[in-house]
Amino acid sequence: MSSIRPGSAAAYWLAVPAGLWMFGAVVMPALLIVWVSLWGGRGFSTASPLTFENYIRFFSNPTYLNLIATTLRHAAMLMAITGVLGYCIAYFLVVKLKSARWRTALFLAFIIPFWTSALIRAIAWIPFLGVNGVINQGLMGLGVIDRPIEVFLFSRTGISMAQVSLYTLMASGPVVYMLSQIPMALREAAMTLKAPPGVVFWRIIFPLTLPGVVIGQVLVFLSVMADFATVQWIGGNKIALLPNLVMNFYEGAQLRGAAVVAVVLMLCMLVGVGLAMRVADIRRLGR
Amino acid sequence: MGALSIGWKTRSRVTGWLLGALTIGFLLYQWLPVFTLALLSFSGPTGGTTFPMNGVSLHWYRELWDASIMSDFKPPLLRSVMLAAACSLTTCILAVMAAQAMRGRFRGHNAFFYLLLLGIMAPGLLVGFGFALLARILEIEPAWNTTGFIVHVTWTLPFGFMTMLAIFNRFDSRLEEAALTLGATRIITFRRITLPIVLPGVLGAALFGFSLSYDEFPRSMFTTGADMTLPLAVMAQLDRQLTPELYAIGTATTLTSLLAILGCVAGLALLRRTQRLTTKGT
Repeated sequence: MSSIRPGSAAAYWLAVPAGLWMFGAVVMPALLIVWVSLWGGRGFSTASPLTFENYIRFFSNPTYLNLIATTLRHAAMLMAITGVLGYCIAYFLVVKLKSARWRTALFLAFIIPFWTSALIRAIAWIPFLGVNGVINQGLMGLGVIDRPIEVFLFSRTGISMAQVSLYTLMASGPVVYMLSQIPMALREAAMTLKAPPGVVFWRIIFPLTLPGVVIGQVLVFLSVMADFATVQWIGGNKIALLPNLVMNFYEGAQLRGAAVVAVVLMLCMLVGVGLAMRVADIRRLGR
Repeated sequence: MGALSIGWKTRSRVTGWLLGALTIGFLLYQWLPVFTLALLSFSGPTGGTTFPMNGVSLHWYRELWDASIMSDFKPPLLRSVMLAAACSLTTCILAVMAAQAMRGRFRGHNAFFYLLLLGIMAPGLLVGFGFALLARILEIEPAWNTTGFIVHVTWTLPFGFMTMLAIFNRFDSRLEEAALTLGATRIITFRRITLPIVLPGVLGAALFGFSLSYDEFPRSMFTTGADMTLPLAVMAQLDRQLTPELYAIGTATTLTSLLAILGCVAGLALLRRTQRLTTKGT
């Protein structure tokens, strides 16, 4: 018994404002994007005829097709890097680190930057990556190179470096949660039965953390696929991925073009999330 | 067997050290750019956007303070703070209502849960762009305090909602039962028993709402119209020219966020204390 009666009308009415808000400002706009992407003609009018012309124009341009492939490759690479890195960090924090005080301190050290503006953190990479940046000066100081390397700023390397720092926590967090749910007695039991540590990890620990890995990967995938800001600021205007194309079309007042790219992005994301759901039951995470 | 187990132990220890080194390395990797940014914001008037610093001064903070019309960050700052405060308040109210509704297990509460979760999963780029299209069809002029506000809440509300769900998960509903048994109505029980106990959690939801809206960029991009919020103003300035002034504003913003987190931590500590008191009471 609680201050709300189960299944009551009051519960329903309490949910209505938040539900309507989210429906009107998230679901409706998404459907709208799909609708606008099908508009024929030239003007922005709800009376436009519906055609697949915009899609045909988009998919018959090899540059755009390449861009889809590049974006997916970029996302896959980031998922691999943040996945491995995030898992190692989570494993260290939960399993290897014995001192509770250190664990709290390190957790905070990870989480605090996550709370500051992503924009500021992306900008912070500029003095780091530039021709006269910290990395180049450091490498020159160590005598590794004798003249600055230009690959960092305005390159995909620089973008990836910044994005790894932005998104590793997303890959790590759910794994931390899943790892901390595993009773340590389980490991000890396997060890007592003489399973080598590697086998314990691959046959027991890893499968139990799989939902966490998968949801972390989904979060990284969704973020990277939609991150136009880091790409724009670290990559300059030389490099663009699929989400930047939405911005470019939008700023060029080509709303139908922007809508087509947005739908392509949405489809990529839906397919990604769908695949992830097949690998592991994400809903188990909350239980 | 003995030799083997020692082998495992050493190996386990080596793995531990390796993973530890990796973790510390990543922490440095994550923090160094932010430190560099903060350090460079204190460079002298002739200092550039990279090392060397050319002296130490508060020059760029002063520039920030008496800014020219082109790069005056104070009006955007004011807008961002007001927007964040409004989002924070709205998030609080709607999140408490929504979480309380979830406790009531009304028909379709699962779909409702996923609908709110969608606000976290749906990328800002798509939500912002979609809402810009909606505003255009409805012939509404985008502005930070109308369309911007509506879209920001779709981002802050799910986080507040999750916070409240977590709080209600740990909530001892026997306290409510006691009040109800003693003849209090459900509304009075909620106001006098439930709400005071979950109040620290509500504070957490409020801070979430504030800091998420304050930093929000992709959703604002499409829906704020001519009067920019702070992140947009920073972006616009970055578009024109990168100066240590931006580093100064970055440092100032980061410090503000840090204070917000401290507030959150204090709120959670308060929650734990309240809960300890309530369990002692039962």
